[in-house]
Amino acid sequence: MRLLTHNMLSSNIKGVTSGFPLRIEVEKVVQKEVEFNADFLRNMFAKIEWSALVEASKTMGYSELPDSAESSMLDSDEFLHRFHHALLELHLEEGALICPETGRKFPVNKGIPNMLLHEDEV
Amino acid sequence: MDSLTLLCTASLLAGGLYWFLCILGSAEQKGKRAAQLSGGSIAKEKVRDTYKQYWSFFRRPKEIETADKVPAFVDTFYNLVTDIYEWGWGQSFHFSPSIPGKSHREATRLHEVMAVDLLDLKPGARILDAGCGVGGPMRAIAAHSGANVVGITINEYQVNRARMHNKKAGLDKQCEVVCGNFLQMPFASDSFDGAYSIEATCHAPKLEEVYSEIYRVLKPGSLYVSYEWVTTELYRGDNPEHVEVIQGIERGDALPGLRSYKDISEVAKKVGFEILNEKDLAKPPSNPWWTRLKMGRIAYWRNHILVTVLAWLGIAPKGVVDVHEMLFVTADYLTRGGETGIFTPMHMILCRKPDCKSSDSSSF
Repeated sequence: MRLLTHNMLSSNIKGVTSGFPLRIEVEKVVQKEVEFNADFLRNMFAKIEWSALVEASKTMGYSELPDSAESSMLDSDEFLHRFHHALLELHLEEGALICPETGRKFPVNKGIPNMLLHEDEV
Repeated sequence: MDSLTLLCTASLLAGGLYWFLCILGSAEQKGKRAAQLSGGSIAKEKVRDTYKQYWSFFRRPKEIETADKVPAFVDTFYNLVTDIYEWGWGQSFHFSPSIPGKSHREATRLHEVMAVDLLDLKPGARILDAGCGVGGPMRAIAAHSGANVVGITINEYQVNRARMHNKKAGLDKQCEVVCGNFLQMPFASDSFDGAYSIEATCHAPKLEEVYSEIYRVLKPGSLYVSYEWVTTELYRGDNPEHVEVIQGIERGDALPGLRSYKDISEVAKKVGFEILNEKDLAKPPSNPWWTRLKMGRIAYWRNHILVTVLAWLGIAPKGVVDVHEMLFVTADYLTRGGETGIFTPMHMILCRKPDCKSSDSSSF
């Protein structure tokens, strides 16, 4: 699971009001090289919750992102490459996503987060 | 001379056997092979039993009291059929109006692309595919529109397949797949620029539940298009043949009760959508969508032999033969549904989430 995906997932357990962002429990991180595309990144930037991305990438072992970012930074090649790496190249293969309110763990196996709720959480 | 004849005969036999076991039946050139058929995430030895459980659960679809068990059985259904669908039908698990002069693949892609054109998207929009299967539509739509597509499916095996296909197609940056239930989607409210669902919401016991979730995750002012499986105005509940056909469709497709075409707009309005357009895409001048199933009859017998041989050899799980037969019987009901005009898999509805969100719940 890439951080691009993590950035859009939230806990939807009944009664939870702030289910985003999900905390990450790491068991296995894999780095996969992905073709760099500046246009794609500039396009995605507006849709990304920046602080969630920074926090998540730190948990995954990458601390090179600035704590806050603005669109003027998209002119910097260095910034774009760091953004690219964090967003697309860090993969959580095994671990869990944790609801920030209830602590419930959504398992991540072979890179797939399973967000299915149990009967009593609906 | 003799050894040459022997060599030629042996090569021919070997080639024929390879073709029969490995090439035959594949809907796509480099698609799933018969020898790769599995029961999805179900262990090989359990496939047959799981199939039997599925079959008895859906005996009387509209009388299912345990609606909360439906998602698990839909998941089971797709473990059982995903490989056979990919093998015999292709990566897009839905119907399309046939188009004279165009192949099934082209007709399918046109049907998919039309859905996203209706959403009137800006470049780089993020859209939801509710019930995305192995992602056939997602890839066509992403490639055509340039949108970022996020698909959700309840079946983990399909998530795996979809991601693999996305990567192969070079679309894994634009397309993402999440394992979840579209009745409780793990996405924040107001987060998508558009949404579509192609022949998938029929698996929800209550359409209202899936429509309200889609409504929730859409940004105000965004559009949602759905191709729905419904009974048409020609359907008569007091006609035993009609009932038999519809029940046959429900049982063989994991549907907890087909809706009437009238229900769709009613439910959409109830959850807050404005209806922009509604149309049965199967009606003339469209050409029949069920002819593809009819042609499949010839292929069925050939594939039945193939699958039986593979199961006997221990290559395919034993239950696959039962599932294959179930799908054939179901195909017959679907064809009858199409020919009589009492059923359509492509009742299209185009909806809009209103711009202004009222903070109180009073209705006008």
